[in-house]
Amino acid sequence: MSELKPRKDLLDIEGLELPEIEYVLSNAVPFKQLFQRSVKKVPTLRGKTVLNLFYEPSTRTSSSFEVAANRMSADVTNFTVSSSSVVKGESLLDTIETLQAMRSDYIVIRHQAAGVPNIVAKHTGASVINAGDGYHAHPTQALLDAMTFREVYPDCAGRRMVIVGDVLHSRVARSTSTLFHKLGIEVGVLGPGTLIPEGRHDFIRRFRSWDEVFDWKPGAVYLLRVQLERQEGMFFPSIAEYHKMYGLNTGRLARMRQIGAYLMHPGPVNRGVEITDEAMRYERSLIGTQVENGIAVRMAVLHWLKPETDRD
Amino acid sequence: MSESAENHEEVILSPEEISSGVEELAHQIAGRCADDKVAFVGIYTRGVTLARRVAEALKEQGLHFPVGTLDISLYRDDFDNRGPDLPTLETSDIPFALDDLRVILFDEVIYTGRTIRAALDGLMDYGRPARIELAVLVDRGHREIPIQPDYVARRIGTTRDQYVKVRFREDDRGKEGVFLESPGNAPAA
Amino acid sequence: MSATIPRLFQNGRIASAEVRDLRQADVLVDERGEIVAIGSSLAAPDGTEVVDCSDCVLVPGMFDVHVHAREPGQEHKETLSTCAAAALRGGVTGVVLMPDTAPPIDTGNLVKSAMDLVAELSPIPMLQSGCLTKGREGREMAGFSGMASRGAPMLTDADRPVPCPDLLRRCMEYARDFDLLVTSHCDTPPLTKAGSINEGRVSYRFGLPGIPAISQEIAIDRDIRVARHTGVKLHLQQISTAQGLRSVRAAKEDGTLVTCEVSPHHLVLSEQDIRDYNTHFKFNPPLRPAADLAALVAGFIDGSIDLLACDHAPHTEFEKSCEFGNAPFGAAGLETSVLVIFDRFIRKGVFGWDLLIERYSVAPRRLVGLTPVAISEGAKAEFFVFDPEAQTPLTRETMKTKSPVSPFLGETLAGRVRGTVLGATWYAQEPYIALA
Repeated sequence: MSELKPRKDLLDIEGLELPEIEYVLSNAVPFKQLFQRSVKKVPTLRGKTVLNLFYEPSTRTSSSFEVAANRMSADVTNFTVSSSSVVKGESLLDTIETLQAMRSDYIVIRHQAAGVPNIVAKHTGASVINAGDGYHAHPTQALLDAMTFREVYPDCAGRRMVIVGDVLHSRVARSTSTLFHKLGIEVGVLGPGTLIPEGRHDFIRRFRSWDEVFDWKPGAVYLLRVQLERQEGMFFPSIAEYHKMYGLNTGRLARMRQIGAYLMHPGPVNRGVEITDEAMRYERSLIGTQVENGIAVRMAVLHWLKPETDRD
Repeated sequence: MSESAENHEEVILSPEEISSGVEELAHQIAGRCADDKVAFVGIYTRGVTLARRVAEALKEQGLHFPVGTLDISLYRDDFDNRGPDLPTLETSDIPFALDDLRVILFDEVIYTGRTIRAALDGLMDYGRPARIELAVLVDRGHREIPIQPDYVARRIGTTRDQYVKVRFREDDRGKEGVFLESPGNAPAA
Repeated sequence: MSATIPRLFQNGRIASAEVRDLRQADVLVDERGEIVAIGSSLAAPDGTEVVDCSDCVLVPGMFDVHVHAREPGQEHKETLSTCAAAALRGGVTGVVLMPDTAPPIDTGNLVKSAMDLVAELSPIPMLQSGCLTKGREGREMAGFSGMASRGAPMLTDADRPVPCPDLLRRCMEYARDFDLLVTSHCDTPPLTKAGSINEGRVSYRFGLPGIPAISQEIAIDRDIRVARHTGVKLHLQQISTAQGLRSVRAAKEDGTLVTCEVSPHHLVLSEQDIRDYNTHFKFNPPLRPAADLAALVAGFIDGSIDLLACDHAPHTEFEKSCEFGNAPFGAAGLETSVLVIFDRFIRKGVFGWDLLIERYSVAPRRLVGLTPVAISEGAKAEFFVFDPEAQTPLTRETMKTKSPVSPFLGETLAGRVRGTVLGATWYAQEPYIALA
């Protein structure tokens, strides 16, 4: 038993207390162990409903939540709203009304606008889980990253991780770096100057080249997805130049192997941009583990949050 | 824990009596299972300790039964009523195939029977044992569902507002004993 | 509102722009709305209503040069009459209306019809400003002479900078000969883009696209340069950064005819006050870091900032209840300006009523060519009665604006406007009791 304040929503990492993080991460371990059984399901959330509300397409995250909820015996409704059908602004309050009427116990929400999960959480008794909002936060990604890192480095405090890529527009970088910092893991970033928010976090080291990164000897290299659609010639000259400067190519992979660094990526990857085919087969790649741990962590989150559905 | 001034606590089993209870369970099990393929599964936390102690006692008689552990938090039927004490999950560890085994579940106390119900559900998600039996240190009555123990060390009469607390030195910082806690009407000191 | 009878405001303390000390005196206003006597223990003639002003301060009426009253065209947000009610509630007895109505006020006829509406609907004087460019579209110069002849005191494209520096230059050259004031909302749209909050730590934490400080600072520099080149009188709206203020200071030392304003919210709120994606804190220019606040307060005190203007920009609660990035900029300000400045500064002794009167009553009137009002014998009565010991709980129910959207909503501010005198009319404000 642990004395934690009951929490209704998971909106970001900043608001989490260390014991809560430890609680979720340690509970995720027995959940992951269930995957070894022939029956992977537990009846914990029998009769509960989970609404997967996705305003931005994401097969991976949405499936991960769906599998997690299914394995806990909850009923899952998937609701994907194509952004074209969303009228700017006006729709949000109406959406919340509709959600209320559905009386879900848990709402998993992804939205292109930062802060939408916060607004929904304020207006509903259901537990709201932020599955990614704008550039703001992606807390379950951060938790699964931490779980994955700690599996290879159980004594994670003092270890180092470097995040490579578009940090400015990445909710993953925000949430994961904040969580790793809370766990005592040193965080560095590498990427074009246009995509690294200068001075936003005191705790983040800034690198200008892979050479500097390797000298620092990180325990893991975390590649971010390059958002090709966001690249309008404003942030770097070309994809080819990005790959040359910041991509994980054969030479850099060899140096990673030398220092024994693990490879992480939130997926989906752009082969030939931030990563080469060869790097995808790297023996210390944790990318598959991240996916598996995603389900375990999301089960632990569903198990932890306490809806206030009587509030409605 | 509720060691408040108002509560009255009475010793039901001393450490020595617990030891003889464990011997008693070992004796009963040896008498009925000596020829079978048997495995023990303890329910977290003190059911695990009880199973290990009984297994240890049986080793002296040349019977070697493996012990697995089971966390039933995910199978409980009172998930909605969890208080501020959030359950920390333990890793269930059943390092043997259950199929065609005679499985003996261990819990320290049987009361309403709901914990055992949850444990049966959990156990069966790991496989299909040939037979499942139940061993407890204390049966305090008041069943709410039709589940009965097969091996019992001690039966005691209780009222519903009482609480039977088992302490094992392995789990309770060296304290050992079974206590009956009654609310209110504490006797004069 | 009440009948036009003589009133004796008894035992109050009179504030003025000239001296920080308040002067204890009775003020007698006759039935024509003229202050006929100021002195101690004045006798009330027969038929005089006596207003007990013990412990209260009598303050000259404020004047706000930056008000979006939304009528005509957006009456769901605010109307001239709700705007006037909010002003009176806040001790403001005159305003300049921004021309970004629907249609935008870009001709002399539209100025005239706007002034006709004001005459019909507003109990307080309101001056209608005109657009710099036709339709506020930033492409062609609007009809300055017609707007000037109908009494427009300033030209501005309200919330939109003139994008082309050449067009801005021609507008200024042309306006100079009509002695029209050009007023700039300083912003560089290609830098601001879809930003909705100051670019920096807070925007990064919220994951919202930011508005960099240079977006306003570059526009300030540009407009000052063009104004200096053309010799027009320039007024800069809503200064929000220390660097922007340094530019204004330097321009003044150079002899450029430039003035600038700051809003109460930029003086007392920083980006750190934005919580939980509350869109009531979404402004353009955005709330800035605390270091900028300190510089603005210093500039407000030393006079580098000429005046206070609230940028009264009501939007309905519904319009504000959406994604932070999609919410419109601005909030209601008329009824909170004086209270906020009193609560945060005057009450704490940072400065006195004299400074607020100078910045929010005298300087704004001078800016648009009006004679400042004062509480003096022979003057028209235009003041409000302020109880510094009372409190004003700010709730959606108590606000007079049609759109009770304010970053101060939910706060209880120190002080209370008991009522406002405009000529022979006494607009008493009902007391609001904070719910226990």
